[in-house]
Amino acid sequence: MAKEKETKSMANTVIGSSIVVDGEITGEEPLTILGTVKGRIATAQSVVVEAGATVEADVEGQTVTLSGKLTGNVTAREKLELRPESKMVGNAKAPRIVFADGATFKGNVDMDV
Amino acid sequence: MADMQTVIGVETRVSGEIRGGEDLVVKGRVDGKIQLTHALTVDKGAIVQADVDVKNLVVSGTLVGNIVASESVRLHASARVVGDLASPRVMMESGAAYRGRVDMGDIEAARAAVASRAVARPAASSLATARERPAPPRMGAPPRTVVVATKAAPRFVAPTVGERPAAVSAAPSAPPAFPRVAGAVGGMAPAWAKKKVRRR
Repeated sequence: MAKEKETKSMANTVIGSSIVVDGEITGEEPLTILGTVKGRIATAQSVVVEAGATVEADVEGQTVTLSGKLTGNVTAREKLELRPESKMVGNAKAPRIVFADGATFKGNVDMDV
Repeated sequence: MADMQTVIGVETRVSGEIRGGEDLVVKGRVDGKIQLTHALTVDKGAIVQADVDVKNLVVSGTLVGNIVASESVRLHASARVVGDLASPRVMMESGAAYRGRVDMGDIEAARAAVASRAVARPAASSLATARERPAPPRMGAPPRTVVVATKAAPRFVAPTVGERPAAVSAAPSAPPAFPRVAGAVGGMAPAWAKKKVRRR
């Protein structure tokens, strides 16, 4: 039973490519987005916005990894990573921020220095 | 990676609307509305408080809201469901707890009734009006009404009587079937269901 619960939480949350979520996603587990989310995202774990995904939301997470498009303010407690081909418009707040070559970004950066 | 299934995890809560063209599995919690052209699975332990419009619905957890499933609904033994249910095929396992009205006939009318309750889609109700017109007033001859929770029956039937003549004469305009259905549904979620949901 304990093992089953573990695999369940490992399965975390995925928003598929043809799914549109309009509202708020909150949680305590990793979140992967391949589709569209509008509203607000807050999780205690990682947020991954895959290539092809569109997020129009304020995002809060431990680590935020962006390969798709994001419009909104991002707060990462640990790290924000903008992969190549990613597009972000909004303010970024994180102690560590990685911009890969090819990433597009417009907004303020706050690393708490 | 690209063909990952959509899952709302155990520790995740979505409040708002979920739309889409793929299967959705809810293990955590969803409040609001779910509209899919594919299947929705409400896993054991999951809580969904939403109007649901899908093709196939499988429930093992808790679901409160009106359900329209264009193909089938399956309630497993651990399911707890409150809300009106419209689907051509309904399967309930022994042990499933359900309260509401089942309609295995007129899916479109039920869908319109659900849609008219949501202000977000004003176009839906006029479309439904057009579809409804040739059909006799929905409540005129009560459809195959299966009320599983025994004591609920009079509540559904009573308010329909007074409005029947109006439904016949004013058929081309807005059929009163929707608001009436909506009214009946509104007060339906029993205290136990609400409490259960709140406690988590």
